[in-house]
Amino acid sequence: MNGLTIHRKIEEHTGLLIFGILIVSAIGGLVQLLPVLNQESLETATSNTRPYTAAQLTGRDIYIREGCSVCHSQQVRPLIAELERYGPYSRAGEFVYDRPFLWGSKRTGPDLHRLGGKYSDDWHRIHLLDPRAVVAESIMPAYPWLDKRSAKETGNITAKFIALRRLGHPYSDEDISGAEAELEGLTEMDALIAYLQVLGTGLSGEDEGAAL
Amino acid sequence: MSADLPSGFWSGWIIVLTLFSLACVAWLVWSLYFGKDIDEHPEVEPVWDGNLQEGHNAPPLWWFWMIFGALVFSLMYMMFFPALGSNAGILNWSHGKRLSDSYENFDANFAGVRAEIVSMSLVEIQNDLDLMDTAERIFRRECSVCHGPEGRGQANLFPNLHDVDWQWGASAEQIEQSIRGGRSANMIAWQAMLGEEGVEQVAEYILTLDVGGDASLPGQAVYQQSCTACHGPDGAGNPLLGAPRLSDDIWLYGGDFETIKASITNGRFGIMPAFGHRLDDVQIKLLIALLVR
Ligand code: HEC
Ligand code: HEC
Ligand code: HEC
Repeated sequence: MNGLTIHRKIEEHTGLLIFGILIVSAIGGLVQLLPVLNQESLETATSNTRPYTAAQLTGRDIYIREGCSVCHSQQVRPLIAELERYGPYSRAGEFVYDRPFLWGSKRTGPDLHRLGGKYSDDWHRIHLLDPRAVVAESIMPAYPWLDKRSAKETGNITAKFIALRRLGHPYSDEDISGAEAELEGLTEMDALIAYLQVLGTGLSGEDEGAAL
Repeated sequence: MSADLPSGFWSGWIIVLTLFSLACVAWLVWSLYFGKDIDEHPEVEPVWDGNLQEGHNAPPLWWFWMIFGALVFSLMYMMFFPALGSNAGILNWSHGKRLSDSYENFDANFAGVRAEIVSMSLVEIQNDLDLMDTAERIFRRECSVCHGPEGRGQANLFPNLHDVDWQWGASAEQIEQSIRGGRSANMIAWQAMLGEEGVEQVAEYILTLDVGGDASLPGQAVYQQSCTACHGPDGAGNPLLGAPRLSDDIWLYGGDFETIKASITNGRFGIMPAFGHRLDDVQIKLLIALLVR
């Protein structure tokens, strides 16, 4: 049998052609994705990574809604320049409760993965309302509506918790029944800041020693 | 540092699938060029609609060499780098190793200068223009978003670091403590305890502290009772608590009557984040040299 006979067979049988195309286009995924999905070290949470609280999860959704990822990435790469600027490089285990993760690829502004604890809540509040008030040359847009809206209006938090639990996030029944109450009195600004302050805080010294 | 590579079954899975698909590509290209030619076997080429038949034009030779080159390249790549399952490759390359190499390189280049800075006194550093330049760069990168590009404070929340008034102390040790461990000021809200009137009276009194305090004001008694523990009897402040001097005209949040009233009514909780884990000893020393007098 040579190439031409096979060629002929395939051209004459559409079913065979479809099957062949599927196999060929699946190879990349079979080699790259399937083994990674089964690699335990990549789906084990780092020691301080916790499921998001109601406020943090709402903040995350606001982050997505406002398109912050358009200008900010959330991944510190393992390069000396990035470690010196941002802190320890990002580990896969820090994103186990991110669905989807917000790694992004565009850095008009700085990377935000190690942002948690870097600035105070007050600073974030001023900066989000008017970036120019603290960084004169900033080109980041202002988000003045964030502190006028209630965090409770940003989607149904109970439903989100239930959906995430179905995907394996360890929320207890109390977490779910208390989610709505946790947002009581918070603005979208408060929720977003709660999210920003927890970014990148999932790493302990022990994780930092792990191999790369 | 050993790399986190797939192991066991999945390692074999990757190796087999990768080599198998490369072999398929090689076979396909080979058979296109060196397999039996269509012209010799017209019977294998289908005829459509009675007389339509594909002609045979071999793809150009450069295309063949390109594919051939790519094949050779991928085989070499898989030999040298960690591409085949748990195989680390001849070069033993990994992200972790590249990173530690970068740091070794960094140490080799800068360990000398850095050791020198550690042994220098703050005054010597202050007299070295290059080092002060570096210190200013670190300040602009790490601190300016709050304290302003020149450290002169901004937004009535972030203090001026170049004035004579130091909330947490002006000595090198105190400044180091401020940078390394951060500071978190805590003045409770006085509204509930003093009431609206009490707040106004004590605010009025505070405004006279720069001339020693007007003892005839009703606020004096309130001040003596509630505020001296932290701000001192004459309003000189207390660096251990971060309680600012109230007897000068330097104010963090603002020195007009309304702002002072707001400070007392709602309390103030300024936070300076800790930088001990973000900056190394040399960077912190340079910053101290930049700030201390
Ligand atoms: C048009 C691009 C753009 C968008 C969209 C944007 N930013 Fe920024 N951001 C910047 C730039 C540029 C900077 C650097 C200057 C500054 O600090 O303001 C920055 C800085 C920041 C910083 C300070 C980071 C640091 O380490 O100093 C934070 C926090 C931040 N942005 C949060 C956000 C959030 C939250 C959103 C979405 C609500 C957002 N940004 C949307 C461009 C953007
Ligand atoms: C527990 C200690 C403590 C007590 C008691 C206290 N303060 Fe304070 N006060 C502080 C601290 C700490 C700050 C700095 C807050 C900051 O930096 O965020 C401060 C700040 C202030 C400021 C703002 C100063 C500025 O620069 O803007 C005013 C005004 C003030 N206090 C007035 C009072 C008055 C009036 C009382 C008594 C009713 C009082 N304080 C009692 C600790 C105290
Ligand atoms: C998130 C904003 C923020 C950043 C970033 C920041 N600071 Fe501060 N810093 C503050 C605030 C707010 C205070 C006042 C705290 C208080 O109210 O007592 C302060 C206080 C200080 C003090 C004590 C001042 C005094 O009067 O005793 C020093 C020193 C200082 N900062 C240095 C630095 C240096 C150096 C850096 C950069 C490595 C830095 N800060 C970065 C917010 C910041």
